[in-house]
Amino acid sequence: MRKVKITFRVLLFLIIGGFFHYVLPQHDIVRVTSTEVIRADFNWYNRIFYAQADAGNAEQPTRDIRLINTEKKKTWLLGFIPRDATEIMVYRNEDTGWIWPPYFKFDSSDLQAEAAALISTNEEKWAVITHYGWRIKFLSVYPNAVGIRQVESPNVTIIPWFNIFFFIFLFVAWRFIVAMWRQFRERSVDPLLEDAGEVWDKVDGHADAASEKARGIWGRFMAWLATWRKK
Amino acid sequence: MGFIRLVVLGFIAMTVVYFAISIYSRSIRREKLEDAWDADHPEGGDEAARDAYIEQGMVEYENGFRKKLIWLVYIIPTFAVAILLIVMNTN
Repeated sequence: MRKVKITFRVLLFLIIGGFFHYVLPQHDIVRVTSTEVIRADFNWYNRIFYAQADAGNAEQPTRDIRLINTEKKKTWLLGFIPRDATEIMVYRNEDTGWIWPPYFKFDSSDLQAEAAALISTNEEKWAVITHYGWRIKFLSVYPNAVGIRQVESPNVTIIPWFNIFFFIFLFVAWRFIVAMWRQFRERSVDPLLEDAGEVWDKVDGHADAASEKARGIWGRFMAWLATWRKK
Repeated sequence: MGFIRLVVLGFIAMTVVYFAISIYSRSIRREKLEDAWDADHPEGGDEAARDAYIEQGMVEYENGFRKKLIWLVYIIPTFAVAILLIVMNTN
């Protein structure tokens, strides 16, 4: 039972962590080498990793997608060990529009033009690409670029403000929900259980659990509603 | 189409949050009034006077500024989306 619990928790953590890793914005330091457009015929297993047709267009089974080819500066190994190497990274450049994830990006064409202006073959130009998503080569999946800006050198420090505030917000929201739940327990559920418990205690040591079971969720909900009624 | 879906789903989500916070806030207010009464009347005091005191406090809350602040649940996300729209789509 303990092992099942631990496995379940690890799995939950990986799924939630993976979800945030996919959806939240990340910054890469890159040299743009070219931009291109390819036709994409989606499959059932990689369709979920793509957004949809440009905001104003109709959705078709097949469409062109914009790609930004780059040479990306490798991030620190495990976040600790600096390494001075580059790798190839290809980004797709799609509108997220009004749909998930909520980046409200409608300017893919503009972004493609900006990326083209930063093509770095004759002179060395570095840029920071903001993106979300993963590169999965086996499924032909690309991260989606949502912004690009030029930087002086590849050694800039980037502070992920959005993610910092997002996690602070998430923490506050979580504490708030816990506080609400506690208030609900304290004011609405516990008094009911106490009343029932006083009688039942004489009969059975397990009175609390029993009364809760007997009452049922609906009964407690109705009793709780009654506490809001004006007197 | 996507826009309509966002508005509808967003409105439903914000309404759920609005009601949850309203109920929570009302509960906190009532508890504070009860505690204040109990602090002033350690021996318990008159039951009817206690009820009147709490109801009076709740009426003040219902008409007060604090309750109106809960409308920020609708206002803040709407502004956040508007700002995100502008920031994301201007070069």
